[in-house]
Amino acid sequence: MTPVLILALLTGAVLFGVGVYGALSQTNLVMIMMGVELILAGALVNLVAFWRFLHPEVYSGQMFVLVVMTVMAVEMAVGFGVATARFRAKGSVEMEEAEDLKG
Amino acid sequence: MSIAIVLFALLVTAWFLAMIESWTATGRLHPAAPLLSGLAHLGRESVVPRTPDRVFFETAPVLLLVAAMLGAAVLPLAPNLIIADLATGALFFNAALAYVLVALIMGGWGPNGAYAMVGGWRFLGQLIAYAMLIVMPITAVAMRAESLVNTAIVGSQESLWNIVYQPLGFVLFYIAAMALAFRPPFDLPTAEGELAGGVDAEYTGVRLAVLRLARLLLVVTLASATTVFYLGGWHGPLLPPWAWSLIKTLAVAVSMLLVGHYLPRIREADLLGWCWKLGIPLALLNIFIVGLLILVVP
Amino acid sequence: MYIQAFFVAVFGLAAIGFGVVVFRTSSMVRSALALLFSQTAVGCMFLAMQSEFLGVLQIMMMATEMSIMAIFMVMFMMDPGGLGGMDMSHQKRFSLGAGGIAAATAIAVALLSDWGPVTAEAPDAAMQTRELGFEMLGRSMLIFETAAVTILTAMIAATATAIPAREPANHDHKETSR
Repeated sequence: MTPVLILALLTGAVLFGVGVYGALSQTNLVMIMMGVELILAGALVNLVAFWRFLHPEVYSGQMFVLVVMTVMAVEMAVGFGVATARFRAKGSVEMEEAEDLKG
Repeated sequence: MSIAIVLFALLVTAWFLAMIESWTATGRLHPAAPLLSGLAHLGRESVVPRTPDRVFFETAPVLLLVAAMLGAAVLPLAPNLIIADLATGALFFNAALAYVLVALIMGGWGPNGAYAMVGGWRFLGQLIAYAMLIVMPITAVAMRAESLVNTAIVGSQESLWNIVYQPLGFVLFYIAAMALAFRPPFDLPTAEGELAGGVDAEYTGVRLAVLRLARLLLVVTLASATTVFYLGGWHGPLLPPWAWSLIKTLAVAVSMLLVGHYLPRIREADLLGWCWKLGIPLALLNIFIVGLLILVVP
Repeated sequence: MYIQAFFVAVFGLAAIGFGVVVFRTSSMVRSALALLFSQTAVGCMFLAMQSEFLGVLQIMMMATEMSIMAIFMVMFMMDPGGLGGMDMSHQKRFSLGAGGIAAATAIAVALLSDWGPVTAEAPDAAMQTRELGFEMLGRSMLIFETAAVTILTAMIAATATAIPAREPANHDHKETSR
């Protein structure tokens, strides 16, 4: 039990919480994506902490971090694509006005 | 100790560059010109525009300075003359210079002026053009050295400089470095004629002095990087290693200034088009050729 | 050990602080750049935890990613400068509760689990880069390639979504002007 591992895990947990708050409370698509980025950042912190303090000899841990970074980049690209299409069609990316997407 | 020496070398090179820059402008070679104009800037009033984003406005010049210096910190002047010989030096160089973009966006948004803001966002477009052309040639360089450590990269060029081994990579890196330093044909964010100074426009006094110094140091850092990655770093006959590094850095920096002096400014759309349609395929070709050479030539 | 704990704590606090600023400022560029500095602080935490390659990579990638975020914020928001002080949030209490519960659960798991023995020594930084390379192009090659193809697919998909829909070709020259 090391304090550094716990510190890193606590940081990851709080970042995750802040991200969840942001993703749920914001009305703008781009702001929601920022919340998701924070959630993923929390996950990254945890992954690196686990790799460093529990299994430094297993490099799949670092590989996992790279995959999560890929997910972040892909999320950004697709999110902006959707936002641009939405803005072209409706002139806004506010979630309150996206009721028409309800099936 | 080596920190002090490297910083001193940076400042000396920047001094020379400032001298040469004022020479191209006024036609007179005045050794004290940088000091005088620096002092003049300190004496002038430092105007803050109306309703600025104060945090960004104050941070931007300092962040630019810090980014340039961090980039220089991982580049060796001589085998032991380096501030931090990181295991991921070549990557760290990219990471540090990525913050040039952040500083320019902050400097463009901060002062609440139209020209400055256009300049800042223009640099974001410029980044999309040059970013890949910085990273991909460095990839080929690291492939030959089989290491990301910058001293090892210089060591790998002892018999043959990279400019001969991979000339294509050198050309692409040189162009991208000029775009990253926003020197004249690529000075879109600070275009004198169309944007009235762009990002520079709203800065005066001490802040402008810091901004100018940061831009000069950025050129020095990139010239030093060109030296380390392509011109064999400290290798050379007769003179001591640090002298060779300084001479090559200075020569590259001066060549960047001169090229900028004689070329017209490029259009943003042209820059993006050429970099993506021509530059990136060439950079990939360069990586392929270098890989082939490494495999075939023992 | 204590130095490491100190740096992890400082950068962790910075990451959380900037993360909170993201949702508390009404200026969109500020909010995007706060996210950038939060991610940079996360990268510095990686450096403090001696995983040099990942830390530098995080710092490098996030600088460009979040700057691009900033311009999209300015493009798509009604009040990018935040001078009007608009409130851009809804269901505040519910989100606060959900965020709080999520954080509390994660904290409880972190504190209550038995993480087992901890390795004090990290591998050397150059060694790490080398081993990661072998992992990436050896055992995890399939995953790595999948990630690459995913990025390519996402690029094409995002571009295809974002470019404007082409007007249907009107062969019979009906309704050429609107």
